[in-house]
Amino acid sequence: MSSCCTPPAFEPPSAPPAGAFKTVLLIGPPNSGKSTLFNRLTGLRQKVANYPGVTVEQRMGLMAGVGRPDLTLIDLPGIYSLTAYSEDARVSIDVLRGKMPGTPKPDAVILVLDSLHLTRQLMLAAPVLNVGLPTLVLLNMSDLMKQRGGKVDTLELARELCAPVALISASHGTGLDAVSLFLNQPGNGTAAKPLVLPVIGNAASAHTWAAQVSRRTGYKAPLSVEGTRKIDNILLHRIWGPILFLAVVIGVFEVVFAIGQPLSDGFGEILARIGEFARPLIPSGWLQSLILDGAWKGVGSVLVFLPQILLLFLFIGILEDTGYLARAALIADRVMRTIGLNGKAFIPLLSAYACAVPAIMATRTIENRRDRLATILVTPFMTCSARLPVYLLLIAAFIPHTLYLHGLIGLQTIVMLSLYLAGFVGAMTTAWLLKSSILKSSETPFILELPQYRMPTLRSLSLRLMDRGSVFLRQAGTIILSVTLALWVLAHLPVVHVAGGAYTAPELADSIIGRLGHFIEPAIAPLGFNWKIGIGLLSSVLAREVMVSTMGTLYGADPATQSMHLQTALHHDMTLGGALALMIFFAFAMQCTSTMAIVKRETNSWKWPAVQFLYMLALAWIAAFIVNHVAMAIFG
Amino acid sequence: MGFPEHNDLADSVCNADRIGRILKSDQSGRSFIAGLRQNVLPFRRVQGVRRVSLLSELKVGETGVLEALDLPESVQNHLMHMGFVPDAQVKALRRAPAGDPTVYLVDGMEIALRHETAEAIRVRGLYIEPNAQTASAAPRQNEAPQLVEAAR
Repeated sequence: MSSCCTPPAFEPPSAPPAGAFKTVLLIGPPNSGKSTLFNRLTGLRQKVANYPGVTVEQRMGLMAGVGRPDLTLIDLPGIYSLTAYSEDARVSIDVLRGKMPGTPKPDAVILVLDSLHLTRQLMLAAPVLNVGLPTLVLLNMSDLMKQRGGKVDTLELARELCAPVALISASHGTGLDAVSLFLNQPGNGTAAKPLVLPVIGNAASAHTWAAQVSRRTGYKAPLSVEGTRKIDNILLHRIWGPILFLAVVIGVFEVVFAIGQPLSDGFGEILARIGEFARPLIPSGWLQSLILDGAWKGVGSVLVFLPQILLLFLFIGILEDTGYLARAALIADRVMRTIGLNGKAFIPLLSAYACAVPAIMATRTIENRRDRLATILVTPFMTCSARLPVYLLLIAAFIPHTLYLHGLIGLQTIVMLSLYLAGFVGAMTTAWLLKSSILKSSETPFILELPQYRMPTLRSLSLRLMDRGSVFLRQAGTIILSVTLALWVLAHLPVVHVAGGAYTAPELADSIIGRLGHFIEPAIAPLGFNWKIGIGLLSSVLAREVMVSTMGTLYGADPATQSMHLQTALHHDMTLGGALALMIFFAFAMQCTSTMAIVKRETNSWKWPAVQFLYMLALAWIAAFIVNHVAMAIFG
Repeated sequence: MGFPEHNDLADSVCNADRIGRILKSDQSGRSFIAGLRQNVLPFRRVQGVRRVSLLSELKVGETGVLEALDLPESVQNHLMHMGFVPDAQVKALRRAPAGDPTVYLVDGMEIALRHETAEAIRVRGLYIEPNAQTASAAPRQNEAPQLVEAAR
């Protein structure tokens, strides 16, 4: 079986590309540098979607990076084998065989293997080559391999695999001409002769085959670097490890809030100024009000969070690209296990402090379906940045600026930290309840690969930021924009006929939304909320931060409080008990349509978002009820 | 690229031997010889060698030769693709700060497993590295037969 065919030589094509290929698949094990290569080959022209019916992300792009923008490159999820261990692998099999509805049948395959661990990585080559599509095998990170004294005979490997093999370095972009040569091969339309490999299915025999092949091709594994293990001696040290881990977590918060907050404030200021600048340009009347007070204000309320969220993604991106995130999961596993989750849930829960939407998307790294579902269900409890404006408004209005411990800690800070703690405890308790009842642990064990430490590249970090930023804007922006517009309409209908034939907006209490607020008042009165808060709660079901702008609109539009600052207006209109209850309500309730939409997409059913919404609403109501009554009993 | 032809016969003989044993262990769950050694021979301490039968029993710095995985088929398959194949050398590299999971070095990769998973993985023979200084060098594949010899 050693030489079943001659190695295809890389000769520049005499004729221009025949165009026989249309769709090319990129496949490879996790940590093989596949994403970096995908970015290299496609540049920025990529599209992210979901495969229908499953939670696996589909990444597509045009191969402009190698001068073939006529070809579509599909990036499959990183997999170790074609056995259906995970959803990722099942999707990969279907796409590879051209059986995935809505995804074009692939014409060729680019298989990326990490040349630093070639023997193990070759185990994936056998099933992929067995599919019988024209395949190019790329050995990535070849620069590192050579640097560390490793080597492999690519010609011999090509003979063994019956497929062209090339050494590349995706991070430096070297060796990529092999890809264009492969794509431009004359007569590439004919499928390669399917390789008859001695191994099908059985992992042990696949490994035996891979070991034989790597031996026959003179593969010499590079020496593993001392660096990673030396760093781990400190970062995973019994004492220093947890301390540094906490330092990293606190550091993330420091940056997101200490640097991000002023950035967000400044950005908000600029957005407001743009609105004011545009005001004279639009004829005054209902159109001006709709555009500036409705749409622009709504869009602004989302855009304001962008600096903070991008900062958090930058941080998580650096942690992930350097390889520390896996260590964090290792350190966190022991704690996460006590509530029935595993260390991998730590990463999504940390991201949820910025926004639950990307956090829920990040749960994809958890292979165990039940663990993943439990993580998704508790994620919205974490104090996301959309709750911050509500907390900040209420704390500034109701909590006195008292300092304790010689000015070291203020009462306002204590309340803020308590709210964070409340969300955290809510998440942990819920996780524990779920894992000891309906989502009881299953057989899938916790298996975590610790990658080598790497220097993150500016390129991959900026691509990630753009990717996540646009997802956030699309998910949140569209919904908030429509909600604000709907709210504006609801607050301006039904129109009132005044003398002289003119129409004008109704008093807020008489508008549709005012009536709705009055309608739910009996249900929220025990919590210490009036009908205006009711309107705020109704509108914030779509997104929490809408609460602040709704309150602004409500109190701004109410002639009795027109001149008053929003804080004083609230203070004038609510008791301390009601304000505290409102804060705790926001800590627990799931007021975010984007999150519900994402949960629906990720769990592929409306059942879970519905269960989650009702559970969190009930919890929020009960907690707010208790807080209101306790506060009333204490402060009168 | 100036690579020699693969004419190292000794190596391929060794390889064939390995295949034979792997195939045998595939059929019966674990190899006959290994079973005999585990059950018939009494447990005893040889200098530099401590007998263990489970991966979870490895102390940090110790290396075992993997024998079989008593795990559900799909998990077994997944672990095998991560390098936990019969006859592979697995070294307990370090424990997480909380004492669990443990990081294992297999096939040049570091994989963390919880105690409960490592408990379901059988290892045979055991080899304590003579000095801690080599702790970071990745074990080479062709060392495995020697280690088994050492265990005997």
